[in-house]
Amino acid sequence: MTVARLGPFFAALLMVWVFAPPVQAHTMELTQAQVTATADDATTTQVVQLPYHWDLYNKGHRGEAVFALSFDLVDVPAEPWGLYLSRLGNAYEIWLNGTLLQRQGDLIHYNGADYSQVPRYVVIPSGVLRSSNQFRVHIRADVGRRGGLAKLVLGPQDEVQLAYVQGYLWRGTGSAVVAVFSFLVGLIALSVWVTQVDIGEAGKPKRDPLYLFAGLAELFWAFGVGYALIEDPPLPWPWWGLLPIVASSAWMCNMLLFCVEVADWGQTVAAQWLRRWLGFFMVGSVSMAYWALAGGQPLALTISYALSGVTALTFFAVFVWHAARRAPMGHRVVAAAIFLNALVGLRDLYVYRIHPSYGEITWIRYSSLLFGLSLGYIVLLRFRTASAQARDLMATLAARVAQKEAELGESYNQLEALAREQERTAERTRILRDMHDGVGSHISSAIRQLQSDREVSRRVGHAEVLRTLRDALDQLKLSIDAMNLPPGDITSLLANLRYRLEPRLAASGIELQWDVDLLPVMAHLDASAMRQLQFMLFEALSNVLQHAQAKTLRIEAHVELPAGASGAQVVRVRVADDGVGFDTLSAQRKGQASMHERATVIGAQLQISSQPGRTVVEIRFG
Amino acid sequence: MWRVLIVEDDPQMREFFAASVRRSDQLTLVASVGTVADARAFLDDVARGPDVLLTDLGLPDGSGLDVIRYARQRHPECEALVISMFGDEDNVLASIEAGALGYIHKDAAPDDIAHTILEMKAGASPISPMIARRVLSKYLSLQSNKPLAPVDIAQAAIKSGANDGEKGLLSRREQEVLELIARGFSYAEIARLQAVSVHTVQTHIKSLYSKLAVHSKSEAVFEATRMGLLTQPDVAALRK
Repeated sequence: MTVARLGPFFAALLMVWVFAPPVQAHTMELTQAQVTATADDATTTQVVQLPYHWDLYNKGHRGEAVFALSFDLVDVPAEPWGLYLSRLGNAYEIWLNGTLLQRQGDLIHYNGADYSQVPRYVVIPSGVLRSSNQFRVHIRADVGRRGGLAKLVLGPQDEVQLAYVQGYLWRGTGSAVVAVFSFLVGLIALSVWVTQVDIGEAGKPKRDPLYLFAGLAELFWAFGVGYALIEDPPLPWPWWGLLPIVASSAWMCNMLLFCVEVADWGQTVAAQWLRRWLGFFMVGSVSMAYWALAGGQPLALTISYALSGVTALTFFAVFVWHAARRAPMGHRVVAAAIFLNALVGLRDLYVYRIHPSYGEITWIRYSSLLFGLSLGYIVLLRFRTASAQARDLMATLAARVAQKEAELGESYNQLEALAREQERTAERTRILRDMHDGVGSHISSAIRQLQSDREVSRRVGHAEVLRTLRDALDQLKLSIDAMNLPPGDITSLLANLRYRLEPRLAASGIELQWDVDLLPVMAHLDASAMRQLQFMLFEALSNVLQHAQAKTLRIEAHVELPAGASGAQVVRVRVADDGVGFDTLSAQRKGQASMHERATVIGAQLQISSQPGRTVVEIRFG
Repeated sequence: MWRVLIVEDDPQMREFFAASVRRSDQLTLVASVGTVADARAFLDDVARGPDVLLTDLGLPDGSGLDVIRYARQRHPECEALVISMFGDEDNVLASIEAGALGYIHKDAAPDDIAHTILEMKAGASPISPMIARRVLSKYLSLQSNKPLAPVDIAQAAIKSGANDGEKGLLSRREQEVLELIARGFSYAEIARLQAVSVHTVQTHIKSLYSKLAVHSKSEAVFEATRMGLLTQPDVAALRK
């Protein structure tokens, strides 16, 4: 193989390589050999042109061959020379003028290690070459393993070694690079497949099969390319021979499935059928390969290859045709890679299976790099789409959040306004009620007193009206004080009541006895309840002032623990006087009725007992 | 003879108070005016200020509180009483902080008015249980430096007999007196409970009044400093 034939495509792709000039004139190429081949006990001797491809000469047989190549030298070189063979094997010995130059592998036992995968370079020590020379190359060849002998190139070391390095670069190093690259791409694709989980329908985690197929295809490809570099097989024959065939079939199947996903045909009926066919093909190709290798039927392998070729070519034709018409960018890129690989594949097929060449390498191992690159491109495309979607989503989300926030703020404002309105209404209701029960009722009483018939008016005089009006003003003051009373603080309420009514008690000459403990805060008494209690006590005190003609008034407030000592505290407020008293049953006056109502409202127990000399109004909170 | 100045915008009311003052042979009415401006003009003119200022709070050209402050500033010996319709907590407290020593109800009897004035001059200052409670809670929150719910403060205020008065602005005695007033006890009852004279109780309350007035001033200074209206040296000057 020469550099020129590689073409500009690979030159561009593999720029790192520096190519050497062609082998110079004084190197020698030995292409004519007399070969004695023993294939399954039948021995033939003939003169052939190298390269000698065992499988072409001895279809379906294994055996050994001895090549004899004679050549003359005008000037016998003093320094060591080099010998370069682009391919020979599967096992071999190289003799020159009766001296063993190199031996690789076992010439007796078949299907062992394969040493034909990489080019060979052999140093010819000085003193071995003469003016008349003969090479004797002994090979062992297995069935279908591309055994044989390439032409021999010999000459000064620096020149021949250069050709060897170049050949090795493509066959050895290049293959290793391709294998490593494919392996990495495969691993990345698989890890993308494992990690990128969407939540699909019914909440099941859903992975994108595209990455799985791409990853598997790349791994199988990496194996297929790397396989050639393993000289000493870890598996016995024919299993070791099966592996690359299985790998290539698996590669093809995964490749096709990958393309199905790229074209988004996964849900179509054709795709279902294709999957079934590929399953069948996988089983079939493995069987055929086994038959070919173990049973010595190379035809089976050819059929298998033909089936795989037809399948792949048909599919790729459809795929490329769709891409050419109209398809997303990812589809087109993959189609372009396939198209190029198909061309390269056809060339390889010609070189490997049709043209009687030996020692050539497949180009497709390099062109397949395009698949890895196109996969990378697809990932980029998807990432770009996904991030654009994410941006859109974020923008939408932000807009929605802002909108919700505004709505929330609005509804909060409304609620607050409503709450304020309710508070105002409640406050207004309370004040109106206060006015109605207190000042309003007193003023209307005063008016009634002034309007009632003159006789009565003269008799009761101003005193009655004055008292009513004082009541009104006192009530008003108590209402205002009630606004500042801490809810539940009965001690403060009583103290305030005393303070407000003190002048009138003093004026009426009644002695006040004050026996008020420090009471606990009654948590259940709110502002409104406090006002109700204030009314009740005011009513009681007002009655004493107006009607009782008492000498002493005693106000008590105590905390009592109930008998069981387990229950809650009981607070008892008591207003007692030593006045004339009244009949509690017949005299259900308006004031008394309203006291009972208020007691019910605030959940207190009201008890009024009266007899001449002792009237007690008792309010209990439990 | 105590010299009395009346500031009241309602002519009828003003006349009623004027008459009440005139009826007492221990009081002399030096003037009765209806506006803040007139009151200031009067206070500016006279060489010897009134002994007693009787002022309404709601005046057509300002607040009676301004009159009280002005009078206290011009004539520190002048003692002020506020004429109040309801004797409600907020107004009374504001009056005390402005420097008033008590208040008179508008519906009080004429004799009671003179009596209240004379009692004040004799050293008495009336204080209601509500005011006492408010003052206690205010001082307690100042002392503990953290805001409490009103109920808690009130209860704490009433209960905390053991509170160390030296640290705070109230003396222990003053605090005890306030607590008893908040619970509704009269001065006489308090005097009995504390085994002191009524006069002593009144002295405590009066000193409390002046503390409130002084304190309200320092509070104002603190506020002003905080708002950046005053610099530190000014504060020091004001505190002297």
